[in-house]
Amino acid sequence: MRTACIAAMCLLSSAVAQAQPTQIRVRGFADIGSTTFNAGESFAAVLGRDVGAVFGGGGDAVFPQRVFVSVRASRFRRTGERVFLFERERFGLGIPTTVTVTPLELTGGYRFDYGWRVVPYAGGGIGSHHYTETSQFAGGGEDVARPFLGYHLMVGYEIRIARWIGTAAEAQWATVPDALGADANSAAREFDESNLGGTTVRVKLIIGR
Amino acid sequence: MSLAVPRARRAACSVAAVWLAWSATQHAQLEPPPAMLVSETAPPGIDRGLRASDPPRAPRTDLSGEPFLRGSVIVRFRPGTSPNAQRAILAQVAGTAERPPSYANFDIVAIDEDVDPETAAARLDAQPDVEYAQARYRVYPRFVPNDPMYPRQWNYPAIDMERAWDINPGATPAITVAVLDTGVAFRSGMMRYHTRAFRLLPNGPVFPSLGAIDVPFAAAPDLTGAGRFVAPRDFIWETTTPFDLDGHGTHVAGTVGQLTNNGVGVAGMAFNVRIMPVKVIASMWDLIFRSPQQGTDDVVARGIRYAVDSGAKVLNLSIGRLGPPAPALRDAIAYAVSRGAFVAVAAGNDFETGNRVERLAEFAPQIQGMVAVGAVGRDRQRAFYSNTGAYVEIVAPGGNTRVGGTSGGILQQTFDFNLVETYLGDPAGFGPPRFDAFTFDYLQGTSMASPHVAGAAALLMQQGITAPAAIEAAMKRSATDLGPPGRDNEYGEGLINPRASLRGLGLTR
Repeated sequence: MRTACIAAMCLLSSAVAQAQPTQIRVRGFADIGSTTFNAGESFAAVLGRDVGAVFGGGGDAVFPQRVFVSVRASRFRRTGERVFLFERERFGLGIPTTVTVTPLELTGGYRFDYGWRVVPYAGGGIGSHHYTETSQFAGGGEDVARPFLGYHLMVGYEIRIARWIGTAAEAQWATVPDALGADANSAAREFDESNLGGTTVRVKLIIGR
Repeated sequence: MSLAVPRARRAACSVAAVWLAWSATQHAQLEPPPAMLVSETAPPGIDRGLRASDPPRAPRTDLSGEPFLRGSVIVRFRPGTSPNAQRAILAQVAGTAERPPSYANFDIVAIDEDVDPETAAARLDAQPDVEYAQARYRVYPRFVPNDPMYPRQWNYPAIDMERAWDINPGATPAITVAVLDTGVAFRSGMMRYHTRAFRLLPNGPVFPSLGAIDVPFAAAPDLTGAGRFVAPRDFIWETTTPFDLDGHGTHVAGTVGQLTNNGVGVAGMAFNVRIMPVKVIASMWDLIFRSPQQGTDDVVARGIRYAVDSGAKVLNLSIGRLGPPAPALRDAIAYAVSRGAFVAVAAGNDFETGNRVERLAEFAPQIQGMVAVGAVGRDRQRAFYSNTGAYVEIVAPGGNTRVGGTSGGILQQTFDFNLVETYLGDPAGFGPPRFDAFTFDYLQGTSMASPHVAGAAALLMQQGITAPAAIEAAMKRSATDLGPPGRDNEYGEGLINPRASLRGLGLTR
């Protein structure tokens, strides 16, 4: 089994190595980053902080014209507690509540690939940000699970560290309007924050040329 | 501030309280010695059961919305069903089996969020290779007290208390609620009092002096537990034994914190708190016994300050008065709130007799952390007696016997009034009272509404909302709006919803 896997990898490497720069290159990546949410006060009130780790992954296609298209899924998940807010004072109620944000994003952009080892790039796109919020003691209809449409811009640079392996650093700004605070019993309403987006910085490990 | 049944009895008491001054001069007697405790013990309290028998209400119903999760169902295939066959069956509902959960002999099948899970489950259930299929119904912790008369307490389901208790089961002894009232049946004992002759009405018959009488007291069986009472104080007799000579305070204390889920009697709101009995109101028997103090502004103000200085975090004042403003009481309550105590006050029972301003409640809107409480009946409409005005901030169940008869009141344990109010009959039948015989009785009034709010405040404080002003804000914010939309003078912000208050705010819901 192990031998078969090694053989398969060698065949795959051989096939991809024969690809020419003029061809479309398809790559995969995994990333880890940190998002600072636009609704910072709301996230901080319920989850304890407005920053959280985000894990993701996806794939992209790089076209000969230096244009790229990528699809990326990621997830933020954190457990805090329900609160009561009064005159900017926070009272924790000890009722666990878990927030999960799962964006699925489609990005298009341009790579400034002039043969340098470092390749800057920039792009933008749209995403479906699936938001769930579950709490202990929630009754019917009191938990939340629904997607919201968002938009994002991003910049980054990629460094090739081996023929088939690269790394990249990215910064992304996303806006997901009208996602939070629709319900009166929400910290988001209390702080008048409705945007689920945020600013994310992340590093990526890229497999492929 | 309660309207006991019958109401005429209370009216007679009020007149009598005034008339006692006259009768004292008309029937001058030798000055008796002060009341004295002649025995630390007395026979155990006598439980005389339910005073009025009424049919219990129906079991509670689910107040939540959809009882199941959307997006998936539970499916158990019959043994031997091939994976291909399973996929073919699931395809009928566009379902896909998720990774099998641990400790399960069934599958969780993902379906579209828009598909009704019950319909999908029924379709799968009809397949021969499916042993069963069902929606993923929500299961809740369900605290329903086992107190045998709990089904007669409509007032708790009316404010969703069962789900509130799921979140916070009755607070803890760390929270002390002071009941400033006619005293509480908090201990046993035998007191010797000296009576005097008196008239109940100016032209009424003279009730003869009974001389020195020994009066038995007992702790209310369904209210008393180890360490239950803390720092008792009597400002009517200036002692540390605030015996209840009326029954009002005992009934009110029951709604605050009657022992619950103990298989006995009825339930209370915050059934694990400690109760501080502070006697600031003189009952009819206190006056007959010539108590050194009556329930005046200064006495009540002293009681408020005492309660706060002695560690009470919640104060219930099911008391009030009409007449001129009460600056001494306002000052005392402001002091209580400034020391971190939440104060619940009855809004008054004067609606049908002029709806005069309830002086103890009128300044509630100006003190954040003090709430004036109106009353609703089991129909969730304002009770006929409940005052209206700009000072009514919130409402709670206070009972309304015009809706549903006697059982439309609030049921709690108190004295058997037949053995207490012996002065209500003919003087020939007048005899010593006893305060060791208990019944479960329905009373109504904003007095009965206020302890619901005090109990809810204790739960909120235990849950983490420690500032009185924040407790008030939480209650108002989560109140169920009644009457015209928004705040109004009948219901204030609406009917308290302790469960919603305890649950607080999520990030977006």
